[in-house]
Amino acid sequence: MRAVAVGQAELTLFWRNKTALFNSLLLPLLIAPALMAANAEGVPLIVGLVGFVLLMAVYYNLVTTFVARREELVLKRLRVGELRDPEILFGASLPSVVVALGQIVLFAVIVGVVTGADLPSRPWFLVLGVVGGVAVFALLAAVSSAFTRTVEMAQVTSLPVLIACLLGSGLFFPLSVFPDGVGSVVRLLPLTPVLDLVRAGWADGPVLQPMIVLAVWIGLGIYAVRRWFRWDPRR
Amino acid sequence: MTVIEVRGLTRRYSGGFEAVRGVSFDVERGEMFALLGTNGAGKTSTVEVVEGLSRPAEGTVSVLGHDPFRERSLVRPRMGVMLQEGGFPPDLTVTEATKMWAGTLTSPRPVDEALSLVDLTHRASVRVKQLSGGERRRLDLALALLGKPEVLFLDEPTTGLDPESRRNTWELIRALLREGVTVLLTTHYLEEAQALADRLAIMHRGRIVAQGTVSEVVDAYPSRISFFAPAGVALPVVADVDTSGRANVRTNNLQETLHELLAWAHANSVELSGLDARSASLEEAFLAIAEEAA
Repeated sequence: MRAVAVGQAELTLFWRNKTALFNSLLLPLLIAPALMAANAEGVPLIVGLVGFVLLMAVYYNLVTTFVARREELVLKRLRVGELRDPEILFGASLPSVVVALGQIVLFAVIVGVVTGADLPSRPWFLVLGVVGGVAVFALLAAVSSAFTRTVEMAQVTSLPVLIACLLGSGLFFPLSVFPDGVGSVVRLLPLTPVLDLVRAGWADGPVLQPMIVLAVWIGLGIYAVRRWFRWDPRR
Repeated sequence: MTVIEVRGLTRRYSGGFEAVRGVSFDVERGEMFALLGTNGAGKTSTVEVVEGLSRPAEGTVSVLGHDPFRERSLVRPRMGVMLQEGGFPPDLTVTEATKMWAGTLTSPRPVDEALSLVDLTHRASVRVKQLSGGERRRLDLALALLGKPEVLFLDEPTTGLDPESRRNTWELIRALLREGVTVLLTTHYLEEAQALADRLAIMHRGRIVAQGTVSEVVDAYPSRISFFAPAGVALPVVADVDTSGRANVRTNNLQETLHELLAWAHANSVELSGLDARSASLEEAFLAIAEEAA
């Protein structure tokens, strides 16, 4: 895998970047107690943490990574090499994805042990949700980076996705509080099907509709990246 | 063997601006071809298409017998590119950046070898952000050479280099040419093109306005003699006298015209102060072309 060379370099950079370290490693640890206080039950807590990790460690981190590498002309340099475009993006995403998966496993184990939650009865839906979630938020990060001029601007340009996903995911309040029409629209946001699938790892719940919505988001993401992703800085 | 073949290349940007208009040239194996031109002449726009970064609006490009855009996977392993502005993550060291690049290549040179080619061995553990502009240029060259390329693209390779590093880089490029590497150079240092290039093309506003060996391009332009003419003397040659009183003579036969002028001055005891005679150089040809076209 040639893309791994880029991933290794990114991992080195990740350890040297204090902001990224804080966002991916410390922030979730600070948020966990807050969520624990609100939710006594294990499974909803795990679901919530998966959501946070996908938004912060995958989505937000990757928006800043893509923008930083583009502005440093690293993406431009990589593009005249042997790697194909998807390999470059995959390589640059690797450390964030690995860190995110590590966090999810760690949180699930800790929360599981502390609250005595059951083992997932249908783990494949859990895995499908997490893998699909990583894919969709990495793609969305690539799309958002196209509309972000500087690393600092990422704080602003990432807000629409972050807020919409947090409000629409049912993490803070159940989706049933929305009027009927709004509720079903909100279910179509990208994080919602991911968390539905993660939840379905433990309890019977709808899986077909979330899988379809997630697949559509991944398809849209691939289309949007091909259409809008910028390899050169705006000049 | 023709390594690079460009035919009728036109490149248009969104918005309709034509940066390159009907450019054609060939580069043979082991040859250096230089693309010269004023800023905005279309050099980089041309080279980007040859590198396979984008597809031409019109015309065809072939590198090593393949379309560099559609058959990228066949061409890329055999070529090395030094962009005008290449980027490296500022927080990687020189070695880390080189290792990363090596990891993406089919058959890389050892990292140490690549760094020693460009005299960066002593800076191997330094972060990229601490390198000088010239050192960064040399790192970029090291990466371009890392994959042992058959075709090398160099866009302003010696910008920011001190005179010694520039000479060293020239020697390195000459050695590569002797090994049979084909080089497409873009530069605005005319003496660099004159020193290294087998053939060159001068671009202006998206078109090639002169093409050939250095002497073919230069010979099309007259040599120049200039001096301060004494007032009220009829000169034996046609001269333009500028506002400072300096007479400029253009000639296609420098030796004969100069002899005529000096013999006349001697016979008439005329002093030609500030006398200056020079053959046409690439610089003069270039300036004349830019002037003509403006």
